[in-house]
Amino acid sequence: MASLKERYGQTLNLDKLTSYCPGCGHGVVTRLVAECIEELDIRERAISIVGIGCGGFSHHYMDIDAIEATHGRSASFAVGYKLARPDRIVFTYQGDGDTSAIGIGDTMHAANKGMPLTCIMVNNTVFGMTGGQMSPTTLEGQVTATTVNGRDCSWQGYPLLVPEMMRAMPGVKFLARETIGSPKQILHAKKSLKKAFECQIKGLGFAFVEMIVPCPTGLKMPPLKAYDWLRDRMIPYFQPQVFKDEVE
Amino acid sequence: MLFKCMFSGSGGQGSALIAKIVCKGAMEENLRVVMTQTYGIEQRGGDSTAFVILSDEPIGSPIVEQDANVAVGLSQTTYQSCFEGTCKGGVLFCNSSLVENPGQEDGFEQVKLPVSDMAVELGNVKGANMVMLGAVVKKTGMLKKETVEHVIEKLLGAKKPQLVEPNLKAFRAGYDAV
Amino acid sequence: MAETLFCKNTETFAESLARCGVKYHFAYPITPATDVMKRMAVILPKYGGKMMQMESELAVSSAVAGAACTGTLVATSTSGPGFDLMQEAIGFMCGADLPCIILDSMRVGPGDGDIVGAQSDYYMATRGGGHGDYRVPVLAPCEGQEIADLMPHAVKLAYTYLTPVLFVIDGVTAQTTETTTVPDYHDYSAEFDVSGWQYTGTEYHPKRALITGSYAHEDGYKMNERLRAKYEVIREKEQMWKEDSIEDAEMIVVAFGIHGRMCRDLVKKMRADGKKVGCIRPVTLWPFPDKAFEKLPASCRQILVIEMNHGQMVDDVRLAVNGRLPVHFFGKTGGDTPMYTLREMIAETSRLMGE
Repeated sequence: MASLKERYGQTLNLDKLTSYCPGCGHGVVTRLVAECIEELDIRERAISIVGIGCGGFSHHYMDIDAIEATHGRSASFAVGYKLARPDRIVFTYQGDGDTSAIGIGDTMHAANKGMPLTCIMVNNTVFGMTGGQMSPTTLEGQVTATTVNGRDCSWQGYPLLVPEMMRAMPGVKFLARETIGSPKQILHAKKSLKKAFECQIKGLGFAFVEMIVPCPTGLKMPPLKAYDWLRDRMIPYFQPQVFKDEVE
Repeated sequence: MLFKCMFSGSGGQGSALIAKIVCKGAMEENLRVVMTQTYGIEQRGGDSTAFVILSDEPIGSPIVEQDANVAVGLSQTTYQSCFEGTCKGGVLFCNSSLVENPGQEDGFEQVKLPVSDMAVELGNVKGANMVMLGAVVKKTGMLKKETVEHVIEKLLGAKKPQLVEPNLKAFRAGYDAV
Repeated sequence: MAETLFCKNTETFAESLARCGVKYHFAYPITPATDVMKRMAVILPKYGGKMMQMESELAVSSAVAGAACTGTLVATSTSGPGFDLMQEAIGFMCGADLPCIILDSMRVGPGDGDIVGAQSDYYMATRGGGHGDYRVPVLAPCEGQEIADLMPHAVKLAYTYLTPVLFVIDGVTAQTTETTTVPDYHDYSAEFDVSGWQYTGTEYHPKRALITGSYAHEDGYKMNERLRAKYEVIREKEQMWKEDSIEDAEMIVVAFGIHGRMCRDLVKKMRADGKKVGCIRPVTLWPFPDKAFEKLPASCRQILVIEMNHGQMVDDVRLAVNGRLPVHFFGKTGGDTPMYTLREMIAETSRLMGE
């Protein structure tokens, strides 16, 4: 049998156990990202810029250079980095809080600038690291530590659909929402992630993938229940689709 | 040497242009120059004052604060601040064509010259600023005559070559008048 | 080649940055600093660089940090309200040992305040500015020529100590137009080997992770101790100041930036009147030039600090003097004439000297 290193290559750091909670979607997304980097042979020139939140751990599990940006600013860090080193493959790996709460301005303007960058938003509808508070993507009625009676959209706003906000931006060349609820969905998600990197490699423009994943801890559910919730509650609202593909 | 100058005029009189010519001339003579436009004295609608400091050594305070040793008032409304802004031992240049009842100088010298009338005689009232510049250069010796002529040629020649001669004429008329 | 320019000091700042090797400049329009980014937009392409306008100063400082990770010399320019917003990434860069050059063209506050010049960002500039135990070297040129003369030193400071270096210039000086001789192009950052810390991919080095918070990591304490040691070296080695006629002075006036420049005239005029006045002009605000106050002349009876604010640097002067002499303060900020005139400075100095 082939060793893990032979199977997964150099990118994924297999010596380190992840600190993600059982059932957390980050584990899958991190592995998919590592696989894309490996398959596209960009490990040596890849730079991961992570946000603050559980997504900020992702770089620990990959053997690539990494920057832990300030909260919400990964996209702006990436813009600055890419301007100075256009030959590097720069991607951000951020949660929904990082991307769409504190960092929505940075995210949108980076998208609108249309520089060749790859932005991965891992959306689990809660602030996981700080203990399950409402995020901009928390669903209507969803109970969190700060929406104890469920999110009341009349004053707490509606769950934000981030890729939809970017749709009209000509600088965005690849735009998709994916999920990891089933093996089929995972395979599809990988395809989109790979395209999001190819988009940058080809220098075409901004690429954005939102990944809809469960957070069993934040939802206070066992992993299997959290996956049911992903299927029954999250996916009907955050519908997976490729909004734009101008990579070919 | 240290010249602290204020060039004041009303809209369209070109006080800013003569300030600019003085700055460029000073650069040609390798002097240090500081120009400020907003600080020091209250600005009124349409009136403008450019403050220029020339020196052959590092300049201290960049602000002209009622201590100008060269003050130029081209219009009635700017004259009073020039009168008040001239320091002891300085020279105040008054456009006597427009300024009615100039003040009685005390401790400084006043040069009264009807520069607007002189400019009209030369063909264009707009040349009043250049006539005044000629008088300032001659009276104070702050810059060489040739330097200023060269700057006028370069500055105006680039965009409006037809204006070079009339302006030189106005400048020389002012130079010869004091 | 070296060239004498006649332009606003903000533009001199831009020219000096570009000629000392800055490749990328990020900024957001704000008076009285906008002329820097405008000039950079024109001149940087000539040096193979770019000026990038961002959507806020938060984004600006973040982009600066991102670009600094590559080892490239980058810069930004702003004024008080924008400088407030930049603190986030400035703190980050201090924790992460990243170099850059920053200009705060100071205007009156608090809040949006007004666009007239001020020196009221002294505290913010010299105390770090954001949360945490960090400092940023602060240079306070008093005129265009000093901006040009200090720039190579600023780049060297940034790359020697791997830290942001901050220029503070009051808005009056920033908007003053004057002659300045700017140097030939020379990339001072190229004199430093950045391969030990730049983040440019595992192609060049084993994986490197730039982590600045101490949470979830064991190195928060170590990071702070490393910073402490760095700041001690800077305090010891990098104090800069200018003295004028202090050998026999009975009164020493302390002022930085434009007031420090005006003190050249103050000393000259008061000395001409037989009054023994001298001046100490701090050039680095952090580290504060304590050393200038270690051996004050025996003749000195008192000290007067003049600022374009309500008394900020005066605290550092009092710490340096440590009760040996009375330290007075004279300053104001805001309004049409946002600072005391030379005449008022001389009157106050004379009053204190008992005349």
